[in-house]
Amino acid sequence: MTEAAKGSRAAGIPGLVRGLAATARTLARPTHTSEYPDAPPSLPPRSRGVIALLAENCTSCMLCARECPDWCIYIDSHKETVPATTPGGRDRQRNVLDRFAIDFSLCMYCGICVEVCPFDALFWSPEFEYAELDIRELLHERDRLGQWMATVPPPPALDERSADPAEVSALGKPARAPRAPRQAAAEEGQA
Amino acid sequence: MGQTGEVTTTDGPRELTVGMGAGGLATADMVLNIGPQHPATHGVLRLRIVVDGERIITAEPVVGYMHRGAEKLFEVRDYRQIIVLANRHDWLSAFANELGVVLGVEQMLGLEVPERAVWARTLLAELNRVLNHLMFLGSYPLELGAITPIFYAFREREELQAVMEEASGGRMHYMFNRVGGLKEDLPAGWLDRVTHAVRAVRGRLPDLEALISGNEILEARTRGIGLLSPEAVAAYGVSGPIARASGVDMDLRRDAPYLAYPELFAPGGPGRVVTRTAGDCLARLEVLLEQVHVSLDLADACVERMRSLPQGPVNVRLPKVLKVPEGDLYTATENPLGFNGYYLVSRGEKTPWRLKLRSASFNNIGVLRELLPGALISDMVAILGSTFFVVGDIDK
Repeated sequence: MTEAAKGSRAAGIPGLVRGLAATARTLARPTHTSEYPDAPPSLPPRSRGVIALLAENCTSCMLCARECPDWCIYIDSHKETVPATTPGGRDRQRNVLDRFAIDFSLCMYCGICVEVCPFDALFWSPEFEYAELDIRELLHERDRLGQWMATVPPPPALDERSADPAEVSALGKPARAPRAPRQAAAEEGQA
Repeated sequence: MGQTGEVTTTDGPRELTVGMGAGGLATADMVLNIGPQHPATHGVLRLRIVVDGERIITAEPVVGYMHRGAEKLFEVRDYRQIIVLANRHDWLSAFANELGVVLGVEQMLGLEVPERAVWARTLLAELNRVLNHLMFLGSYPLELGAITPIFYAFREREELQAVMEEASGGRMHYMFNRVGGLKEDLPAGWLDRVTHAVRAVRGRLPDLEALISGNEILEARTRGIGLLSPEAVAAYGVSGPIARASGVDMDLRRDAPYLAYPELFAPGGPGRVVTRTAGDCLARLEVLLEQVHVSLDLADACVERMRSLPQGPVNVRLPKVLKVPEGDLYTATENPLGFNGYYLVSRGEKTPWRLKLRSASFNNIGVLRELLPGALISDMVAILGSTFFVVGDIDK
């Protein structure tokens, strides 16, 4: 309680009347609320609503599934052999994503999977209207996760006092010393 | 069967005399269960109360209905995953909960956190404190039968939650702390919006105060009710606004400062510790109300300071696998509801060997055993609500 409030009470205005006056003042002011289903809320770009998947970027490395605190990400993949493109070249192996699913009935919306993804395959979208009557429907498969990509907003600009991005600060650093010639390295190894 | 309730107006214990037909007169104590699911309790706190008529003789809080085994889960999570869980036990002070974990880990690692991160954390922690207090300033009158204040409190909460969400992406579980700083830098223009939000909240706070402070009905329900002595505070380990309302002048922000608090609570700074001496329900509410003002001042000071800090990062680059060196450390922070402590024992692995959680609400509701006996049933809700607890923080 502020001193001013105490003073006005001492002046003899009953607390009930002051409360009613505050209510009356609020009544005269424009309303603060918005009619939600008719007026969609404007959410900030960082808002953690739903996780979107850009499947083309996913290498099935499983980092997200392993780092998830409650293991709600399911990934299936298989290896495929890509034949050599140049004569005498080697055949390459690559991972092909078969299944990517997030169970939003388990997800705690912590964002660790988005943070650890090294290939920018996961993004947060502020969309939140995906409640279901059946809990099993909250398991979003790859297609459903991919559809959320259209709703992913660009990240917000950072504060003017934020550190330079890694690309910019790398420019200011002195160039790395040239690697020692192969011959010298081999000799060192023998010694 | 004839029932004669002996109603006296004296302060002595009242007796309920029950006539048992021809068997003579016998007085009976009644055991009353409040909760675990009861409209008058919030969450699933259960109280086992022995009443003699309308007078409470003994009261025993029965806890554990919402035990989720957080401490055991901490042991199989790395330090980033622990933050997810740690901000959930007291869901009204998520940022402050995260803070204790990362401060402890940083201290054990000997990690220096960038200055901008320190001030941003202090700012967010104070905004979180305001959010927490506004919740109770709305819900406590609601428990006493005043419906209006919660709408005013939630309007202000919405204002602050918007800026918290813009920075962290979450409205309750912020997940914005990381070992070594913050998850990412603040968005451009965010500080201006914090200033604007703080000004708006401060400007409209008199509306909420007009409904609460000086209200005759609220004072009649709370003044002189649920007196808590400083001795009981010490005996039960009560902390936070409840302890300060009983005249116990302790606040870790000033007494064991962390983050940027040494500067804010220095002489001449905006920080001050709010205390009352009455120790009743009204004093506890008043402490909460005034702490909102102090925290808004602190938030303003943090914003002011952040504007003058040089350009720099808000986090430290860490190895992919973070291992805390062997040892143990107790980290205590002043959460909105009281002392929040983490006792971290590490054996040099990427998960803690043990992470003991000392939560404020657990100790604060323990004192109900002292507060409730002697009170009337009708005052039970007033006393229960004035201990400002979050059930998740009790049961962990």
